[in-house]
Amino acid sequence: MSAAFDGWVLPPGVLPARVSFAQAHGVRHPLLDPESARSLMDSLRTAREDALLRSSAAERARVLGRAGARFLDRSDPLRREAEEHVPATADLSLEMSRAVIDGMARDWTGDRLLQLLATDLPHPAALDRFVPSAGTGRVRGVAPALCFHVGAGTVPGVSATSMLRSLLVGSATLLKPGLGDVVLPVLLARAIAEESPTMAAALAVLYWSGGSDDHAESAALAAADTVVAYGSDATMRSLLDRMPADTPLIAYHHRIGVALVGRDALVERELDGVADELAHAVGMFDQRGCVSPHAVFVEQGGEVGAGELAAALARALARFHAALPPTPPSPALASNVHQLRRTAELRRASGEAVEVYAAQASGWTVLLEPHDAIEPSGPGRTVRIHPIEDAAQLPTLLAPIAHHLQTVGVAGLGERLENVARMLGGVGATRICPLSEVAFPPPWWHHDGKGPLSVLLRWVDLEGD
Amino acid sequence: MREAGAGREEPPFDALAADLGALFSRGIDAPLDDTAFDHWARRVFRWQFHHNPTYRGYCVGRGATPDSIGSWEEIPPVPTAAFKRLRLFSVEESKQPEAIFETSGTTLTEKKGEHWVASLALYQSALLPPFRAHLLPDGARFPVVALLPPPDQAPRSSLSRMIAAVHDTLGAEGGGFFGAPDGSIRDEALLGALLATVEAKQPVLVATTAFGLVHWLDTLMRGSVRLVLPEGSRMMETGGFKGRARAVSRAELYDGVHDALGLPADRIVNEYGMTEMLSQFYEPTLSEPLGPDLSERFHVAPPWVRTRVLDPVTLDPVADDQPGLLCHHDLANAGSVAAVLTEDMGVRLERGFRLLGRAPGAEPRGCSLATEELLESATMMRAARK
Repeated sequence: MSAAFDGWVLPPGVLPARVSFAQAHGVRHPLLDPESARSLMDSLRTAREDALLRSSAAERARVLGRAGARFLDRSDPLRREAEEHVPATADLSLEMSRAVIDGMARDWTGDRLLQLLATDLPHPAALDRFVPSAGTGRVRGVAPALCFHVGAGTVPGVSATSMLRSLLVGSATLLKPGLGDVVLPVLLARAIAEESPTMAAALAVLYWSGGSDDHAESAALAAADTVVAYGSDATMRSLLDRMPADTPLIAYHHRIGVALVGRDALVERELDGVADELAHAVGMFDQRGCVSPHAVFVEQGGEVGAGELAAALARALARFHAALPPTPPSPALASNVHQLRRTAELRRASGEAVEVYAAQASGWTVLLEPHDAIEPSGPGRTVRIHPIEDAAQLPTLLAPIAHHLQTVGVAGLGERLENVARMLGGVGATRICPLSEVAFPPPWWHHDGKGPLSVLLRWVDLEGD
Repeated sequence: MREAGAGREEPPFDALAADLGALFSRGIDAPLDDTAFDHWARRVFRWQFHHNPTYRGYCVGRGATPDSIGSWEEIPPVPTAAFKRLRLFSVEESKQPEAIFETSGTTLTEKKGEHWVASLALYQSALLPPFRAHLLPDGARFPVVALLPPPDQAPRSSLSRMIAAVHDTLGAEGGGFFGAPDGSIRDEALLGALLATVEAKQPVLVATTAFGLVHWLDTLMRGSVRLVLPEGSRMMETGGFKGRARAVSRAELYDGVHDALGLPADRIVNEYGMTEMLSQFYEPTLSEPLGPDLSERFHVAPPWVRTRVLDPVTLDPVADDQPGLLCHHDLANAGSVAAVLTEDMGVRLERGFRLLGRAPGAEPRGCSLATEELLESATMMRAARK
């Protein structure tokens, strides 16, 4: 058991000489009094001009990229520190932690951040100066002076990515990561400070246990120009209750993903490949991602049927399990798995068209069953396979969860892809992608339908010649 | 292995139920040793295996038949979740249920669980002796005041049905049901009834869910009402310590009862029951002296129920002081399935078990949507469309 991880990076001088600390889930963090909380907000705001606005967005991308790329180098001390602390704090195996860091840090390089600027903005320099707009006149994007991020949960890297986005657009940034996602943003902030102490003066990462009575949270909600939050509907409601009515909240709600396998992919020679891609999509982050699929819809009429795909997926999950094992299950997860599997066995015995494929312990479970309702299967690498007659039926089946839908991983649709994608988009999906890409969307994806940088910006039009 | 039901004329369910009823009527002090319990459990298993094709298929799939098992512990338990999806009814094809009990839905569940009850007489013979032993060990007869809907308004509530049986069989004149099916309580009528008992110096037996009690205590507190229930009064409270997040701890709740009703914690008995089981467990608060520490309390079973504590991952029995999932074997469930695997954690003790509540670690994590959230928003959407 390694020592507690220090869950903060603050600009110099913010932390008072006498401060008490708390510890939760292997993360140590200081408890700010109201005065030091306010002084943190002031210090971030004041530093912004020198730290961020004297350089262009492209220059910021290169600095941030040099810091981010260190996490792709397994010999780098910060990467090694990440591997030491991510497993315990995020409750992921070492192998899974490595895969997640690799997948996340891939998008933290200078090249990827420059590409993000070019893709999400009407002009890569639109943050630096007025650029010609698509209409007449010119336009410039203005970032919020202070951006406060509230991270969630235990998908490591999500908070760090969010923090990079606001630094890139030029906002002083305060991140409160989720308890299970403290390590990567803290280490990335340290890497940024090593790369550019000037830039780091406008960045703070600080964990605290959230809620209304926390001084840091009250101060941050009062001071922020924009709040970016990840979490449940209840989290969003609570934040909205406590922030000024005119401060924008960019809310990334919890989401659910599904997959669709069309008959073109349901051929014997592609079966194991499709199954491996599905296993990767389901198993990555131990199925805790907003992108993680919980149900796979399988078209009938292919060379192989849904049952064969289910069996192949079970074998693929066993291979995935061997390569990237989960952590030991909590009693609740283990209990859920027994309830689910044994109920499925009883349903099968009662004559329902249900099959159960499962690891000996709680490792993974595949259920083949007729579509009834979409149910999140819980973070247990549990996936339901539903046969459907035709891909065109899927949008109607997904309508009940339209507001929560995000990623639909697809395969084997051939020329029907665009039409199916159009219908899926119509019911609420915001991302339709190949199965192999489900786990790690590119940095410029429209995250829940919004441009990751442009959503932060206020646009200023300069009309006339 | 013989085919189900072939070759031998079996006595009907009613004969099994009558034999079990006679067994239960011996009371909770009549011991049922390992051999005797095993005998009864096998007889019930054989019946269920032969008369419930779904359960039979499940057991065969798990390699367990009446002739293959070495002891009752090898009888495959059904998960409580199965009652939400399936009709687990083990009777002759012609037989209809005498009642259908439905899970209360204290949490937002998509489907309610159903327990089809083959014999209300058997149910009653299982519920009365433990209730009498744990709530009325002094042999007293009191008016029963229930913060529950009356059974004619909540015919699918096993709790209402149970307290009605207690009211009719073990209670004295007076009392009644002061709840409504929507969970609300007729505050004024309830207060009136209790004030009358205070006036008459007539001790009462209050039966309530913890959830209903919390709300009623709030009402009393808002009106600054305080009673002192007559000496000898007692309370059975149930539920609410699992599943749903609670605003108050058990100690706070019992303190509130003491403040508002003058009933100290040593007059409050927690009942642990579930729709999926026709027998109940009680804390022996009244029947034997217990210390003031609520965390030291434990539940005991009647002799016809045995509880195993199982490792949550492997479902192997755990060592005596280790927490695990509670798996009950209830002979009163003869008409459905006797072996039930719950989602509740507990620790085995010499005389019973200590309930620890729902298995920990179920909170939603990551940015993936949790079931409760999906259901909550679906419920809100439906409500908005109405």
